[in-house]
Amino acid sequence: MQALLLRLLALDRRWIFLLVLISVMTPIIVPIGLPVTTTSSTRSAFDFVEALQPGDVVWLSFDYGPSSAPENDPMAQAFLRQCFIKELRVIVTALYPLGGLGLANQSVAKVTAEFPEAKYGVDYINLGYKDGAAAVMRTLGQDIASAFPTDVNGRPVSEFPIMQGLRTIRQVDLVFTASTGLIGEWWITQVYSQFGTPVIIGPTAVSAPKYYAFLNSGQLVGMLGGMKGAAEYENLLAAKHETLGKYYRGTKDFTATKGMDGQTVLHGVILALIVLGNLAFFLTRGKKAGAA
Amino acid sequence: MNTDFGRVTLVVLFAIVPIVGIALGMRAPALRSKIPLLVAFFAGLIPIFSMYIPKRFLSGDSGMSPRLDQWLIIVAGFALLLGLTNVISNSYRKISRRDKGWPYAIVLLAGLFIMGGFGIYGAISRQGTGFLPNGSPTPFRWVETTVFQPLQATIFALLAFFMASAAFRAFRARNTEATILLVAGAIVMTGRVPLLEFLAAPFPALHPAAAAASQFMGKATEWIMDTPNGAAQSGIIIGAALGAASMGIRVILGIERGYLGLGKGE
Repeated sequence: MQALLLRLLALDRRWIFLLVLISVMTPIIVPIGLPVTTTSSTRSAFDFVEALQPGDVVWLSFDYGPSSAPENDPMAQAFLRQCFIKELRVIVTALYPLGGLGLANQSVAKVTAEFPEAKYGVDYINLGYKDGAAAVMRTLGQDIASAFPTDVNGRPVSEFPIMQGLRTIRQVDLVFTASTGLIGEWWITQVYSQFGTPVIIGPTAVSAPKYYAFLNSGQLVGMLGGMKGAAEYENLLAAKHETLGKYYRGTKDFTATKGMDGQTVLHGVILALIVLGNLAFFLTRGKKAGAA
Repeated sequence: MNTDFGRVTLVVLFAIVPIVGIALGMRAPALRSKIPLLVAFFAGLIPIFSMYIPKRFLSGDSGMSPRLDQWLIIVAGFALLLGLTNVISNSYRKISRRDKGWPYAIVLLAGLFIMGGFGIYGAISRQGTGFLPNGSPTPFRWVETTVFQPLQATIFALLAFFMASAAFRAFRARNTEATILLVAGAIVMTGRVPLLEFLAAPFPALHPAAAAASQFMGKATEWIMDTPNGAAQSGIIIGAALGAASMGIRVILGIERGYLGLGKGE
């Protein structure tokens, strides 16, 4: 037995890598369809957006790069779909330098293709990328056109009906930031705290623990924590708006709900590995102590 | 020409004073650190005063503080340029000396110039960096979606493999603190996903019990994240903010001078 446990502890890590690969790949190829329960932070974010009225202005910021896209893309796209079905006006920006704009363009192109009635410049606008995230946010509180004088295609923002009468971010009804790293926190400290615009954050799962402090203090309207939060949002959206169900049920596209299957199996594998590792550690330690 | 008080003051403080400082510093090296300290003093003080003094020249729409914010965006742009210069000079040095890993520096520079070149081409030709009118991607866009995005995603995805391996080898209940961490981690990992439902799937009789247990684990996870985690995070954030504020005061008062990059005695 001891020899077996010692062999287990000395297991070549490539076997673990193979196990991880199989446990993630299999549910993606053959979805399991596990249930997703809703947390209160996602529910409050969803309810806040649902309470907005047609014509209200929301700001969607793509503050992440390709490294966290499987977590952040589904939440940004779900939010965008909700905005279009509720006829909210959407302003899109990207403040993350490493590929944020590319992902913003991709998601906007994908979701606007599903809503052909949404008109560019009237129902939504893409203001593109701007460097210096915190300084940009502070400038938005004074004058949006100073921070973003043109849209992503280089046309002056004053040409677009959506920007008429919209001077500062104080007039925006909600900021939604899908973020990685520090930029999400800056939306809270620079925009909510100084200008009072409500903020919903969609951080990666590793960043999510930090934002519970802001949730508890009431500085965040809600939070979609990682892929789990995105999957919760997708489920709420599909349940509330029948027409959006087709994007989440029986689709071949990657969704957070599908991703949760893989994450569930992987969590199980990692927990089993931790238990096995500790079992081997304690049993071999007991033997060693006895031998001594 | 608009010559309001705020604008004139900004020009004096952040244009004329630095130029005078450079001129004086060239003649008297002892003065080299004095003028930057003065500039940092006012750059730090103006945004603070604008929070408490509701005067138009200070905090109005075109007051000194909003203008400084706009300048900050421009300065951030220059920081990118500085980073670019740094990457090019370091990589060039590595290649010319044939330091360890020099071929990677060639790949880095090739990536930099190819992406930069396509980006500049997109700006000059007014194609941008997205899609062409016929729906096909611009060269910048093509390289981004086919090379950059998969590479970044791959690097991050490797974390799952290393985390699993590290958890197996190192996550041990060696002492009380490690045991608390391990138990909390196990609860959160179980509560964040429908693991119990997944494990009970082949046994229909266990489904209701698994669903109830899963709900309980979910609530336990929310409590851990909300209460102990939330409290600890608040402490960390408040501590970090106080640290940042005290560092800011040290810079404004000229006690902290490391950012000047000067040698000893200057």
